[in-house]
Amino acid sequence: MPPKQRTAAPQTVPGTPYSAAKPKSANDAQDILQGVWNRYVEKTTQRTKLLDSFMLFLVVVGALQFLYVVLVGNFPFNAFLSGFSACVGQFVLTASLRIQTNPENKADFESISHERAFADFVFGSLLLHFFCVNFIN
Amino acid sequence: MKWLLSFVVLAIVAVVRAASFTGNRLLVVLDEQAEREKYSVFLEDLAARGFHTTVDSPKGDKVALFKHDERTYDHVLLLPAKSKGLGPALTANNLLEFVKKDGNLLVALSSEQATPTAVQSLLLELDISIPNNKGALVVDHFNYDSDSASEKHDVLLLPYPAALRSGLKNYFGGEGYIAVPRAVGQVLGNDSPLLSPILRAPSTAYSYDSKDEAEAVEDPFAVGQQLSLVSAMQAHNSARLTVLGSAELLQNRWFAEKAKLGDKAVTTANRDFAAKLSAWTFKETGVLKVGKVVHYQDEGASKKVNASIPESNPTIYRVKSDVHYQVEISEYSNDHLIPFVPAANDNIQLEFSMLSPFHRLNLSPISQTANSTIFGVAFKTPDQHGIFNFRVNYRRPFVTNIDEKRQVTVRHFAHDEWPRSWQISGAWVWIGGIWVTVAGWLAFIAVWLYSAPAEKSVKKTQ
Repeated sequence: MPPKQRTAAPQTVPGTPYSAAKPKSANDAQDILQGVWNRYVEKTTQRTKLLDSFMLFLVVVGALQFLYVVLVGNFPFNAFLSGFSACVGQFVLTASLRIQTNPENKADFESISHERAFADFVFGSLLLHFFCVNFIN
Repeated sequence: MKWLLSFVVLAIVAVVRAASFTGNRLLVVLDEQAEREKYSVFLEDLAARGFHTTVDSPKGDKVALFKHDERTYDHVLLLPAKSKGLGPALTANNLLEFVKKDGNLLVALSSEQATPTAVQSLLLELDISIPNNKGALVVDHFNYDSDSASEKHDVLLLPYPAALRSGLKNYFGGEGYIAVPRAVGQVLGNDSPLLSPILRAPSTAYSYDSKDEAEAVEDPFAVGQQLSLVSAMQAHNSARLTVLGSAELLQNRWFAEKAKLGDKAVTTANRDFAAKLSAWTFKETGVLKVGKVVHYQDEGASKKVNASIPESNPTIYRVKSDVHYQVEISEYSNDHLIPFVPAANDNIQLEFSMLSPFHRLNLSPISQTANSTIFGVAFKTPDQHGIFNFRVNYRRPFVTNIDEKRQVTVRHFAHDEWPRSWQISGAWVWIGGIWVTVAGWLAFIAVWLYSAPAEKSVKKTQ
C-alpha cells in the first residue's frame, strides 16, 4: 500500500501528529501532497530534479512576461512574441529532454542514449535562441 | 545671324505687344460698318492694349473660327446684329467648339435687337436664361439715370460690383457709377459651378417687356438680384465666356456721360468698366501660372552632416517620412507676371492623395520672387504605401483653374529601417526575458554536465 510507504519515509521529520490523524480530517489533503512530495524527492534521479527545477524557472519567467503583457500592453508585439516564445520553446525542449532521459521511460527510448538526447537539446536550444534574438530585432 | 537678330527683335516686339496671356488675335463680329463707329473708342482701347482686331460681318465670306481644325482667333467679341441668324460660320456648335479649344468669347446682347438663335442656343447650353422676346429689358425705379431716362427708368446707374463673396479677388472693382442702358437680364442656372455673376441688378430692379402694353407687370421674367446684368462662365479648361446684357454699355456715347442719379450728378465710368471686363474675358487678368514644383524628403538633423542638399523631386518616398512640398505660382496682370497673393480667407491647398486625399493641407507663402510667390508646406507621409499624388487643385471664380499633379511612390519600411528593439523601452522586459532564459539555459547545461549520473551500469548493456 503506498500510504504505508509514505508514512515510513518521513520518519525523520520531528513531529508526527499527522500520522495519528490520518483517517479523515482537514489534514488529509495536505497529507497526500506531503506524501507525493516526499516520494518525488526520494525516487527521482538528480538529473531529472535538475530538469524539473529548470522547467519551473522557465514557467516563472514566462508567467512574469505574460503578466506584463496583460498589465502594460503588447506594444512592440514582436518583442513580446519573441520573449514569450523563448520561454515556451525552451520549456518544450527541456520537457523533451526530460522524457528522453527519465529512467522510467528507458524502455521507450532504447535506441537514444542520454548523450544523444542532450546534444539534440543543445542544438535545438541554440536554434531557438538564434531565432528569438533575430525576431526581437 | 541676321535671321536670328530679326527673330529676337520680333520676339521682343511680340512680348511688348502681347496684352493677353493666351494670344492677341481678336475677331469683332459687327453687323454693319456704321455700327462700328459707335464702338470706336472701345475698339481703339483694345487695339492700344495690343489686340490685333479683325472686324467682320457675321455673314461675311471670310468669317471662320477655325482653319485646319485650329483656331484662327484667340478671342471673339460678338456685338448684337440686326439679323436673326449669324450665318454658317457662327453657329452655337462652332462657338462652343471655339470655347472648348480655349478661345474666349464676349457676347453682348441688346434689347433693341432680337438675340440671334445661335446665341440663344449657346446660352441655353450653358444654363444661362434670357427672356425670349425682343424688347425685354431691365428697369429700376430707384437707380435710374434721370437725365436720359426720366420717364422709362431703363438706364440703370450702378456702382462697381463688390467681390462675389469673401475669399475671392475682385477684378471688376472701382470707384464711380456704371450706366447700364436697356439691358437684357440673365438668370444663371443654379446647377453650374462654372457660372458666376459679375454685375447683379439691384434688388429693386425687374425685367420688363417694353412691347407689353399692360399697365401692371404681370409675371416678370425675373426680379431683383436674381437678374444678372453681366455674367461669366469659366470652363474647366479656363476658357472664358462673358455675357454682357447691354451692348450699349460699350458705346462711345456712354463712356463718359454726364448722368444724374436722383439729384446727384455723376459721370459714368463705363470706359474703365468695359476695359476691366474685356481684360478679364480676354485673359489679361486673373490668369494663374504654375512655375517650378519641388518636393523633397527632409532628412532631419541627424543625417544633415553628410547630405548637403536633399534630392529634389524623388519618385519614391517611405511611409512616415517628413516631406516638403513647394510650388511657385504667378498671376498675369495686364502685361506681366506678378506674385500671386490669394484673397483673405482663401488658401491654396495641397492634397496628398491615393484615390482619396490622405492629407489636405493649406499652403503658406514662403517667399516671393519678382514675379511669383512660392507656397510651401511640410508634412509626414501617411502610414500607407502605394502610388500617391501631390495635387494642387485650385478652382475659384474669376481665376483660371490650377490642377497640378505629381505622382510618387510611397514604399513601406525596409527591413533595416525599423527601430532596434532596445530603442523601444517597452520591449526591455521581453529582451530581459530572452536573456534570462538563455542565461538559465547556460547555467542548466553547466550543472547538467557537472553532475555526472550516478547509475552507469544500466546503460552499458547497449
